[in-house]
Amino acid sequence: MATTKPTLVQDPSSEPPATPQPPPASAPVPSPVTLSAAKPDTPIAVAASDVREIARPALPPTAANLRPSEPSPTSDAVVAHVPSYARWFSFDDIHQCEVRFLPEFFDSRSHWKNPGIYKYYRNSIVNRYRADASRKISFTDARKTLVGDVGSIRRVFDFLEGWGLINYSPPALNKPLKWEDKESKTGSGASHGGGESGGASSKEVKTKRLCNHCKSACSIACFVCDKNGMTLCARCYVRGNYQIGDVTSSDFRRVEINDDSKADWQERDTQHLLEALMHYGDDWRKVARHVGRTEKECVSHFVKLPFGEEFSCFVDSENVNGSYDVGMDHGSVESCETSLTKRMRLTPLADASNPIMAQAAFLSALAGVGVAEAAARAAVTALSEAEYGSVGESTGSHLQKGRQKEAVVASNGNTHSNTAEGAWEDAKLQLVWEEQDVERAISGIVEVQMKEVKDKIDRFEALDLHMEKEWQQLEQMKNMLFVDQLTLLFHKNPAQKTGERLENSLQSARWGEAGPSSLVVKTPKKIPS
Amino acid sequence: MKGQASASWRGSAVKFRIPTAENLVPIRLDIEVDGHRFKDAFTWNPSDPDSEIVVFAKRTVKDLKLPPVFITHIASSIQSQLAEFRSFEGQEMYAGEKIVPIKLDLRVKHTLIRDQFLWDMNNFESDPEEFAKTFCKDLGIEDPEVAPAIAFAIREQLYEIAIQSVASARESRISKKGRRGVDHTPASKAGSTAVDLVKLFGHRSSVVRKRKEWDIYEPIVDVLSNEEVDALEAREERNAR
Repeated sequence: MATTKPTLVQDPSSEPPATPQPPPASAPVPSPVTLSAAKPDTPIAVAASDVREIARPALPPTAANLRPSEPSPTSDAVVAHVPSYARWFSFDDIHQCEVRFLPEFFDSRSHWKNPGIYKYYRNSIVNRYRADASRKISFTDARKTLVGDVGSIRRVFDFLEGWGLINYSPPALNKPLKWEDKESKTGSGASHGGGESGGASSKEVKTKRLCNHCKSACSIACFVCDKNGMTLCARCYVRGNYQIGDVTSSDFRRVEINDDSKADWQERDTQHLLEALMHYGDDWRKVARHVGRTEKECVSHFVKLPFGEEFSCFVDSENVNGSYDVGMDHGSVESCETSLTKRMRLTPLADASNPIMAQAAFLSALAGVGVAEAAARAAVTALSEAEYGSVGESTGSHLQKGRQKEAVVASNGNTHSNTAEGAWEDAKLQLVWEEQDVERAISGIVEVQMKEVKDKIDRFEALDLHMEKEWQQLEQMKNMLFVDQLTLLFHKNPAQKTGERLENSLQSARWGEAGPSSLVVKTPKKIPS
Repeated sequence: MKGQASASWRGSAVKFRIPTAENLVPIRLDIEVDGHRFKDAFTWNPSDPDSEIVVFAKRTVKDLKLPPVFITHIASSIQSQLAEFRSFEGQEMYAGEKIVPIKLDLRVKHTLIRDQFLWDMNNFESDPEEFAKTFCKDLGIEDPEVAPAIAFAIREQLYEIAIQSVASARESRISKKGRRGVDHTPASKAGSTAVDLVKLFGHRSSVVRKRKEWDIYEPIVDVLSNEEVDALEAREERNAR
């Protein structure tokens, strides 16, 4: 089944719920035949291909919620189609978006305009339409049958029509033929339904490049000089075979051919991107040329960059930037966060120069912050799954170079679609790193403490030994002193007296000192000498 | 523009408004251009911005596939009727005890309705839309286009009576300059359509309606066949010319 074709048509027709004024009753394809025949109008493939087109302007936040529609069975005979973004509708309840779109019925300004009346209008209009779903109900039909003032009836009618609850016909198959014609006109060999402008330009890039000098096809990489529009293959470039003399090697820009564009965004690629943004601002064509990748990739990568990086370098956008420069002065992170998020909320609405952001911000304001965030997350995950398998990791590696503040800032509830997801992953990685660091530090400290204790023990042991030695020395000295005393006594007295005294002193020595009995024995021998 | 809570004593003057809960203006369109005739009747909320008028005109023309000439005609007609309504707004309206009979005599496609009932002009909370819805439900009218037509008819008559009461209030103010007393009977001044309350609700009569008046006050709903419809339409056109 031609899945991608209807999706492209779905995009414009899915815009009406987002615009503030309900669009006039538009009948894109007045063909009753297709209504009853075609059952599913938006297969699941829509989600992927719609999300892929983030680079295109006017991305409705409801695009991420597009899933197969459900037919609402009121009668078995005719199937009435309801687009998937209107699946909230139920006869008995009033949904939040109804309250938001038609506040006149819910703000109790007049007791007559109450939710009951609203329900009555809504249900009778829808029932009237579904009674004959093959025929579009006109506003005049509806208001002729409803009691009340025609202004309110008209608003309810427009609301219902805008959301596809009445007069909705799934995009018919003949519409995509127009798209195919357009594609064939642009001349890119796009496969069926791939008529995105971004895609077309990327396909142009993929056409064969011939080297101006050696006329051979460039295989791996080529070098393009924008000054002269020359293309040189790698070999010619290296050899310096420039045709025109005043072109230097730095004027050439390297362009990868190998479908390398899906490779990781290196640091230098990001730098190129940011430089280009500084110079060219919103002109994505020039930026893409500078970086060497397709516009789409540039935009999607840019959007995925961590928040702070984006805006610290983004000089051109006047509204946005003044506040961000202040914020990024590396002051307190909190003030940075709050000023950024506050400005983020205001400036996209005011910044009419950036249609993507204006639309996205307006739509997210309509749909509510939670919805927009969820939609953005889903969009980012789908995008990364579908195309860039490894981009998540590469953005993680970007952050490992120490962009902690941006991660904190980015993760603080901003509604910028893709950075939320990428920055959240980066923040997680950072957390893991921090934990590891802390663990390491703790173990180091413990080791050091243990070493200290061990040292102390060793010192104490040494001290003990020292003490022992000194005690023994003291003992020896004591004995020597005693010996000296004895000799003195011998020399002083005559033989007998000395003998007696010697005996006395010997005895007293024996009583006094139990230890050196050997000394006592020795001394009589020494005396005569 | 908002009327005060009605004073029950006679002679009170109230700012003009349609004496219903919601201040909606009945708009009747009858435009004939190049042989195309467009007749319509609906209720309009005067607090809607004027841009609504053009939007509505364009929508109607587109839905009914009328020639685009009608857009300006419709828009100007609506605008003039709204202007007329607004011109009455600032003025005072006499609101005394006033119960008026409202008559319904209309044909919507195949359904013919004839009815008469009493309506209290002082009841500023009245709701013709609710009445119309209940009427259709009670009488089992299947055609959904009848209810708005009934509501419209009621509103139109109330509007007329309100305008009359403004005029009479003006007259009485002028004539009051001569007299000092305020208690001239309102019944004679406020228009002969007002029912004489004394006669109805005096101590001598009862609330129950007299038998001879039953026929007048009974609602009649007829569902016509195609031939009858054609015949009636032909007769109407003849009368119009």
